[in-house]
Amino acid sequence: MAQSRFSKIDEYGFERPDDFDYQTYETFMSQYLQILARRSKKWTTLMKSEQALKKKRILKSYIRKGIPNEYREKVWLHVSGANEAKIKHGVDLYKKMVASTHDTTLVEAIRIDLPRTFPDNIFFNSSDEHQEMLFRVLIAYAHHNKKVGYCQGMNYIAGLILLVTKNEDSTFWLLKALVENILPDYYSPTMDGLLTDIDTVSELVRLKYPEVSKHVAELGLPWPVITTKWFICIYCEVLPTETVLRIWDCLFNEGSKIVFRVALTIIGLHISEILSTTQFSEMNDCLKKIVKGPPTVHCHNFTQSIFKVPGKLTTKVINRIRETVSQERKQKKD
Amino acid sequence: MANKAGPQRPNGTAQAKICQFKLVLLGESAVGKSSLVLRFVKGQFHEYQESTIGAAFLTQTVCLDDTTVKFEIWDTAGQERYHSLAPMYYRGAQAAIVVYDVTNQDTFGRAKTWVKELQRQASPNIVIALAGNKADLANKRCVEYEEAQAYAEENGLLFMETSAKTGTNVNEIFLAIAKKLPKSETIGGSGSGQGRRLVESDTTAKTSTSCCK
Ligand SMILES: Nc1nc2c(ncn2[C@@H]2O[C@H](COP(=O)(O)OP(=O)(O)OP(=O)(O)O)[C@@H](O)[C@H]2O)c(=O)[nH]1
Ligand SMILES: [Mg+2]
Repeated sequence: MAQSRFSKIDEYGFERPDDFDYQTYETFMSQYLQILARRSKKWTTLMKSEQALKKKRILKSYIRKGIPNEYREKVWLHVSGANEAKIKHGVDLYKKMVASTHDTTLVEAIRIDLPRTFPDNIFFNSSDEHQEMLFRVLIAYAHHNKKVGYCQGMNYIAGLILLVTKNEDSTFWLLKALVENILPDYYSPTMDGLLTDIDTVSELVRLKYPEVSKHVAELGLPWPVITTKWFICIYCEVLPTETVLRIWDCLFNEGSKIVFRVALTIIGLHISEILSTTQFSEMNDCLKKIVKGPPTVHCHNFTQSIFKVPGKLTTKVINRIRETVSQERKQKKD
Repeated sequence: MANKAGPQRPNGTAQAKICQFKLVLLGESAVGKSSLVLRFVKGQFHEYQESTIGAAFLTQTVCLDDTTVKFEIWDTAGQERYHSLAPMYYRGAQAAIVVYDVTNQDTFGRAKTWVKELQRQASPNIVIALAGNKADLANKRCVEYEEAQAYAEENGLLFMETSAKTGTNVNEIFLAIAKKLPKSETIGGSGSGQGRRLVESDTTAKTSTSCCK
């Protein structure tokens, strides 16, 4: 990772934007490299133990401090339930799905999005190889889960998992775990789960940061405008890549409440900036800016703060709000 | 859009009118909605434009004789399943550009569905423009100009074939919309041009009888 410090291309192959803040990044990296070295040592010791992945409590604290990239695939597959699903459905499911006859509408929809997925990533734009890997994962999944098929946004998620794991089969199973277990009904045709969680986060903001909630309502920026992409892409293409992966470490292990913790933390760390905006276009710009600012670049601190900044947030409370808002939405429809 | 109306400033010199309109882009995925906006706002074109998730928001200003028109542009996601989010974006819009791809007949069908939905559900006075995009790909054309024009005429839509790639008719379609939008009262056109808040109030947005306050 050290050599990428001054490079135009980051360690996952993404070209840094022209306005990339190298100074913030350097300050951050000088600290983060030490953290990475320390974590890497600890993980290597942990992973030597046969029982490593069974020690739930230790694992959780280790995961919150970041999984070293070389262990990500293995740990994600384990904690997400992907390994279990693989045993249940048969280890060659992916191969079978790739080999099956493919629906032409689905093929077309996915093909259109291939060159539009990470066009600024050297792995995706330099040769067809990554695009073809991504195609196979998406088409296989679309045929495995016909109800979901292909939803835009899945291309980014699968694309980033591919960049981490470099393995199509693992990407397929991890995508399945996300779409079916961790974020159910986000990507289905009605997007019910997504719509519910968008309303849920706005309710959580109202409870935790009432002044922000009021200000957003006053300026008339609807919450879905802000949060649809955050949730659909699970912060990929929103937050810096390293930060996204640190979030996904926790997400695969702890489930969807992480998504809310992140949203609340982004807001909670930037209350004064948000409140100082005076019209909604300005607020929209502000929200686009803060997700790339120093507090989110410092992925280690950011990941720690998602467990502190929003305060207590239990699955029980989240589920209760989910139930209320989804009933309200149904009533509105009728 | 509950924006506060800006202070009415006495204006000394030029009688410049400034109007602000909400404009939404609708149409099937990959027809070039984001590309049209990128061309109009930044004068750029990306061969591989990322698909839009949810919606994107941008602004651009055009000058029309004595009036400055500021567009608040909502660029939406085209995939069918994002449809349920669309009403939030076209609600209160004074203008819409419904985009199809001249090389793809299905996208023209989808555009017609959008037009119907807007006529039924959007503000009654909404100005709708139909854009047949990717007009540069003449050898792959599937939707004839005459067919689209006849449809547009029947439905009272502005119509142009555009190319976000070459820039053909991109500014023109926005200008044509700006011309067609009702511009009545004047807002203080003096001074810095910064920090002015000139968004129509809730009531005008609903009736959309006048755009400027
Ligand atoms: N040849 C040509 N290609 C175009 C034109 N406009 C857009 N494209 C290409 O078509 C693809 C899709 O364009 P987008 O602007 O992303 O389409 P969109 O309608 O915003 O798509 P979604 O965001 O998925 O709804 C991109 O790869 C563009 O480069 C055009 O006028 N001519
Ligand atoms: Mg788009």
